[in-house]
Amino acid sequence: MTNVLNNIIANQPIKPAKQAPLPAFTFNAEGKIKPLDDKAKLLPSRIFGSPIEYVKDLKQDVVNIGRAATGKANDHELGRINDVAMKLGSLGLAAYLFAKNPLKLSKAMEFVGFGTFFASMALWPKLAIQAPIKARTGVDIHQKYVDSQGRKKMLHQDPQYDLTDLYSREDLDKMGKKLGVSENLPDRDSFIKQRAKKTATQGNTLWMMTAGIATPVMSALACNRLEKPINNAIEAFDLKTSQKALETGKTGFFQKIKQSMADKAFSKFLAKNADKTVDEKMAGKIASYMGLNLNSASMQSAVASEIAGMTKAVTIDENFVRNALKGQVDDAIIASVVGTDAFKLAAQEGSLKNIATLLSQSAVEGKVAQQKLSGKLLATLGKAQKSGAKPTVGDVTEKIKGLYGSLSGLTSDKQILDRFVSARVGDKSGTYIANQWSRVCDGFIKSLGLNGKELKALADGDMSILSKKLAAISADDEAYNKVVSKLMKLIGDYEAKTGQKFIETVQAKSAQMSSAASEALSAGGFAEVAKKVSTEATKGTLKNVVDGAARERVAGAQSSFYRLLQSLDLFKRIGSSNAESKLAQMLKDAGKVADDAAVEKLIDAFRGIALSATATENIKKLKEVGIDLAEEEYKSIVKTLSPDLRFQLSSVLKKAGKPCNGTAVDKLLKACKDMVLNATTTDYVEKLKSAGFELSEKEYKAVMNVLFGEKAGSTIKASLGGGEQASAMLRGFGAYKSEFMSKVANWQNGMTPELSRCVVDAATNGANAIERNNLAGKPVSELVRDVAKQTYNSNKWLKIFGGTMIALTAVTLVAGLAIGRKSKIEKQLEQEGKQVNG
Amino acid sequence: MVYNVGVQQNISNRAVTPSFGAEKQEKRSKCENHDAIMVAEMKKHPISTNLKIQADKFVNACTKYPKKGLSGSKNANFYEFLTMGSVPYVVGSAMMIGVFNAASKFFDTPAAKNASKLGKKMGLGVLAYGLAKTASKKLIELPVKWKHGIDVNMPYKKVVYELPEEGNKDNLVTHEYHKVFESVDFPRWDLLYGNENFGPERNAYFEKVAKKMGMDDGDLEHADQKVKPKIKEKLVQTKVFSTLASYLWAGTAVGVAMQKPWESLKLGKGFVKDFGSKFVESCKQFVKNESKGATIAGRALLGAAVGVTLLGNFMTLFDFNKDKGSKTQASTSLIDNSKEKVVC
Repeated sequence: MTNVLNNIIANQPIKPAKQAPLPAFTFNAEGKIKPLDDKAKLLPSRIFGSPIEYVKDLKQDVVNIGRAATGKANDHELGRINDVAMKLGSLGLAAYLFAKNPLKLSKAMEFVGFGTFFASMALWPKLAIQAPIKARTGVDIHQKYVDSQGRKKMLHQDPQYDLTDLYSREDLDKMGKKLGVSENLPDRDSFIKQRAKKTATQGNTLWMMTAGIATPVMSALACNRLEKPINNAIEAFDLKTSQKALETGKTGFFQKIKQSMADKAFSKFLAKNADKTVDEKMAGKIASYMGLNLNSASMQSAVASEIAGMTKAVTIDENFVRNALKGQVDDAIIASVVGTDAFKLAAQEGSLKNIATLLSQSAVEGKVAQQKLSGKLLATLGKAQKSGAKPTVGDVTEKIKGLYGSLSGLTSDKQILDRFVSARVGDKSGTYIANQWSRVCDGFIKSLGLNGKELKALADGDMSILSKKLAAISADDEAYNKVVSKLMKLIGDYEAKTGQKFIETVQAKSAQMSSAASEALSAGGFAEVAKKVSTEATKGTLKNVVDGAARERVAGAQSSFYRLLQSLDLFKRIGSSNAESKLAQMLKDAGKVADDAAVEKLIDAFRGIALSATATENIKKLKEVGIDLAEEEYKSIVKTLSPDLRFQLSSVLKKAGKPCNGTAVDKLLKACKDMVLNATTTDYVEKLKSAGFELSEKEYKAVMNVLFGEKAGSTIKASLGGGEQASAMLRGFGAYKSEFMSKVANWQNGMTPELSRCVVDAATNGANAIERNNLAGKPVSELVRDVAKQTYNSNKWLKIFGGTMIALTAVTLVAGLAIGRKSKIEKQLEQEGKQVNG
Repeated sequence: MVYNVGVQQNISNRAVTPSFGAEKQEKRSKCENHDAIMVAEMKKHPISTNLKIQADKFVNACTKYPKKGLSGSKNANFYEFLTMGSVPYVVGSAMMIGVFNAASKFFDTPAAKNASKLGKKMGLGVLAYGLAKTASKKLIELPVKWKHGIDVNMPYKKVVYELPEEGNKDNLVTHEYHKVFESVDFPRWDLLYGNENFGPERNAYFEKVAKKMGMDDGDLEHADQKVKPKIKEKLVQTKVFSTLASYLWAGTAVGVAMQKPWESLKLGKGFVKDFGSKFVESCKQFVKNESKGATIAGRALLGAAVGVTLLGNFMTLFDFNKDKGSKTQASTSLIDNSKEKVVC
């Protein structure tokens, strides 16, 4: 009989035996326990580790945390867990600060700070200690090895735990060569190993002594240097994505989440309050849920009143009449009426008037009495209908949701438009306008070529330097052209992004979104709200808020930029105002004048005449004062004198009957410099007055025209040369000039504040104070002082900590040179051909 | 030349001479271990003893150890390297405060004010980090000490005999402050035997721990053998959870230090009261901020710190491996004790 069991056993497929876990010990030939063979090996000596290895190690560390939680870990693993925990804790903190900071740049910088700190911690010893020492001595003080259990450790972590036996023949030879160990030394390897150990001990100590200073300073410096590029990257990203969103009409991912959360919260609120009556308070609460990003109180109140006005349909029937007229009309009378066809018809039509008439006709006799009763009953029925019509939230949920739905398109459009506007002209740091402001201001300050002392003086408010620097730039054509073209380029870009085209885009989009929303609301029967968002630009509507905010910010910064050009132009014109000497030379060369007095007399005569008049007229006038000129000579003199600033100003003074000699003009020019650099909207005239120039309205306008009007900007034009781009830029400047002249540079601005307030709006072509301020821009001195302060502070900080870092690096590198050197005894031993023993 | 001087020859010249058991002839005559567990000092003056140890370590970390390390002394060791790790912590903290505060004195008033606001918060943040990190470890360590009688920070003074070297041939005995349980692989069990402070029995410490851990099955004669694997397991858990929790608490503390109320903190009269009210206000703002994101993130960070601490308490105070026996890697016996063996 076959043994079934044996068969089964015999037919079992032969499986390869599972590989037994590696033993922790082995047996020698005699069956005695002996330690396992050494499997430790050195890892390739590298300054920078492989990222793949890093990720692998990190994964293992996370696994180790799980094991350690149940008590399974060794010292090595616990040590590594500490590093992981430190990074996790720091990451948690960075995430918190990321959420806390409102600005994108600050958010980004939290993680940059986290990254640079740990990077500095890792990089400092590598770059300043490990690499130089390795290059000089061949010893990698952070050499890693894998032990027999597969754990990665530092070879020279513990000088008392000697693992130098892991060095290969090649390693030892390389180090020996670099360390200058004599090749004839007996037991040379041992000598090299000792030197390597010593070098590592020294290097590790140097690391501990310097890391405390190096890590935070290196990290702070890196953050400081990275801030600008990150800011620019965020700006570029915002500009691009907001442009795309405006074009496609799609909201961003986070906005979608935000909107979906708001939708859910709104539905939840409606469901929770379904049985509550919709009174004004409730309507306000509901409206507040709809106000997501509408930012307009009047919109909210329109929505609230729309909701408060919602009613529910009341069924007019027998019960309604009975309940409404209980106690007022006998049941018998009501019963007699409700059965009639006339009542049924009236109820169907919802005509309370007819019902009241029917009832009164049954109740009393006589037309007058019937009419009287009918009126009373109608009032009661009407009241009952109204109170019965007051709905609960549940009654009108669908309607409210309809309103919410009609508004949600507007909300989403508004978010897109807000993002578009905010990325360009938002009132916060990191936007295009803020960054462009910094670029223009920094560019201007840089072009002044200030040294540290001058920067400090400017930061402290010593503005005399500014005038000197502007005069110096004006005297140097190359420097002047450079700064003008730089500013014009930045302003040109600014105009392209925030100028008329931008305003038009915003206006068109807001009109489009308003009309779309308005149509949807009207179709849904929400007339009041529809009216609010209609395209009519009434005060307080959404449209005005959007457009107004954009306009003001654009104008404010733009004017400040142009004011920089105004001041450069004025200083250049002052600097190149040499027509008198040019004329003197010209006349002397032609043999026309005898001396300077004659030239002065000629110029003075020219000051008195209107150059706009015809040549013949003026030649005649000049003849009257004893100056006889041929037409050609006259034209040549006019050509020389007319563009000259000093001549232009002295002509104004002469015509005003005031002293117009060189001293007077110098005084006036000083006041003009003061004006262009320091004046605010209201004190242009004050600046002249305080310099002793009491001018009439006409004279004041003439001076302003010379400084900022038609004659201004000639040096800018000359500097830019020709070309389409230059013309486009100049067009912008020209438009600004004429607006400035019409709304700021006029007499009324110089009146006393009280009087000015009364007349100024009318006299400045309707410009209000904000608009005038925006047009005048920030006074150049104020702008320069602010930027100088920032630059000074940031330079000072950089100087202190950059200096610290340089000094520390130098000290560390020098100290590194002393590392790995032979001691006296070692030298002696080497000479003696011996080795250190123990 | 070759040094022929040995440790024994040199120690006769030292101020601290190692004893070879002469004083306690009545007990044993063999060479005694001079490493001394500081349980008596810790019982009597825990704070001052701790401060003394920390001060001694820090002074050495700033003076003696760098000198040895930079000269490449053959006596430099891992303990010294680790102890020197406190230097970058302290100097780094000072530098962090400096980075945000040092330059502000050169600034004009409004800029200095702004810089000082941030500087104050950053300064406080650095201090809060260190304080919270150290203090929060106690939230895990102390319950373990109370429940199981295992003090993971129990210090001992180690006597180290150095090798004579160039420039130092005489003063060759030095001391280090270690912790009995600083290594989970090799705790200094030897120091826990026969210490009168634990009781008259040689095994007194382990008996106490066994009782506290509920391992008293009526036979405590070999309590040490029973309890050692368990102690190792609890050590690992205590260390890992106190480490994880400490960094989360440190992050939370920095978050609190970053709140607005601190900006107006002033030194001078009424500082303590001012500090207290600002602390309370900042804690409130940390969990209920004007920014919704910050509120969520703040609560999440605090929640993580509290959660890990509580989980740590839970895992360390209760024994989940009771029935299965300890699986601690370090404690798993590699050798079958039932077989006779010779190590070659």
